[in-house]
Amino acid sequence: MRRLFRSWFVVAAVAPCALAAHAQTAQPPMQTVIVKNTRDPVDKSYRKMVKGMDRFARDHALAPQAELRFRLLPRLPNADMRGITLRIAGDTTSQVLPVAPDNSFTLVRNEQLLREDAAVLANRKTASMTWRASIVSPGVPEGKRRLGDLRLECKVGMDAGLISNTSPMFAWLSDALTSTEAVCGQPDGNYVFFAERPIFSVTLRAGDRTDVLPFKMLYAGGGKAPDELPYCDCQVLLDRSYYAPIWDASWPDDTLVEFEYMTDAPGAAP
Amino acid sequence: MKLPVLALLLGALAGCATAPAPIGTAIPAAKLDSTVVPNQTTRAQMLAALGPTKFVHFDSGHEVWLYQSPADGGRFSEFVVLVDPAGVVRKTRRRAPSLP
Repeated sequence: MRRLFRSWFVVAAVAPCALAAHAQTAQPPMQTVIVKNTRDPVDKSYRKMVKGMDRFARDHALAPQAELRFRLLPRLPNADMRGITLRIAGDTTSQVLPVAPDNSFTLVRNEQLLREDAAVLANRKTASMTWRASIVSPGVPEGKRRLGDLRLECKVGMDAGLISNTSPMFAWLSDALTSTEAVCGQPDGNYVFFAERPIFSVTLRAGDRTDVLPFKMLYAGGGKAPDELPYCDCQVLLDRSYYAPIWDASWPDDTLVEFEYMTDAPGAAP
Repeated sequence: MKLPVLALLLGALAGCATAPAPIGTAIPAAKLDSTVVPNQTTRAQMLAALGPTKFVHFDSGHEVWLYQSPADGGRFSEFVVLVDPAGVVRKTRRRAPSLP
C-alpha cells in the first residue's frame, strides 16, 4: 500500500515536467500500466485484521469456548445493511468473504494476501459502516453478554484496527497515541460496545454481586453533542452503546452483562 | 516533525476529545417518586415540576432524562427516566447512591 502512495506521489511530482517536455519534443508511445485493484486508504488492513486474529489466539483464555467473528454495523442513518459483500483485495489476487445474515464473517490467513498488504473491502462506502470483533461464548443467555467475551472483543478490535472515532484528518495521530492496553485496560479507555437493541439499563452480575452501570457509561458517555457525533462510530447506534468495566479485574470473566431494553422485543407478548 | 507543529496537532486532537457530561439536576428522591409516574406523566409535566436536566435525544424519538438525588456522605443516586416519542414517560429506574 505504501508503495502505491509513493508511486502516485512521484507521478504527481513529475507530471508538470513531463507535460512541458511533451510540448517541446516528440515522445515515444506512452507505456500503459494496468492496476488490477484500487484500494481506499481507509479500508480495513488485512494485515491488521490478521493481527487481531493473532491476539484472539494469544488471549483465548478470556473466552475459551468462543470463536472469532467480525461484524459490520451501520454508522450512517442511510446505511443499507442488506446484501453486503466483502472481499480481500491484494495487488494480484482477491478472495471473496461469505457474509452471514447478521453481517458477521470470519477471516482466514492467506500468506500471499499478507505479502501484498491486502485490504478488506465492502461494497459500501467505508464511512457508512463500522466494524467490530464479535466473540460470543456458547451458552450465554439471550439479552446478556459475558465480560470475558467483551474483554477479548476489545483487544482484538484494537489490534485489528477496527475502530476510528476521530476526525479523519487526525486519525493517523490518534492511532499512534492510543494502544490496545490503554483502551482495554484503563477506566477511561472508553471502548464502545453495542447491544442488539436500544438499552435503558445495564446490570453486571457475578454470583451474588450486582451493580448497575452509571448513566455516564451508557450512550457513549451520557450522550454526545451533535457536532461530536460524526466522529463517533456510535453515530446511529447511540441508543445501543455502552462502556463495560473490562479494565476492572474485580469482575471475573464469567460476569454476565444484562440488558433492560427501552421497549419489548418485536412480537413479544404485551 | 518540528515541536510547534506537533503541539498544534496534539492541541487539535485534544479538541476532538469529549468533555465529561454534566450531572443531572438534584431533586429529592421522594419528590421524584411522587412526580414521575410511568405511563402517566408527560415530558411537559416533568419539565414543569422538576425543571430542566441532562437528557439524551435519540433518532427513534425516545429520550432519557437524568435526575440525581442527594444521599448521605456526599453521594447521589441516579434517577433515569425513559420518555417515548409521544412524550409520555414509559420507564424509570434508580441507581444506588455513589460519589459523583
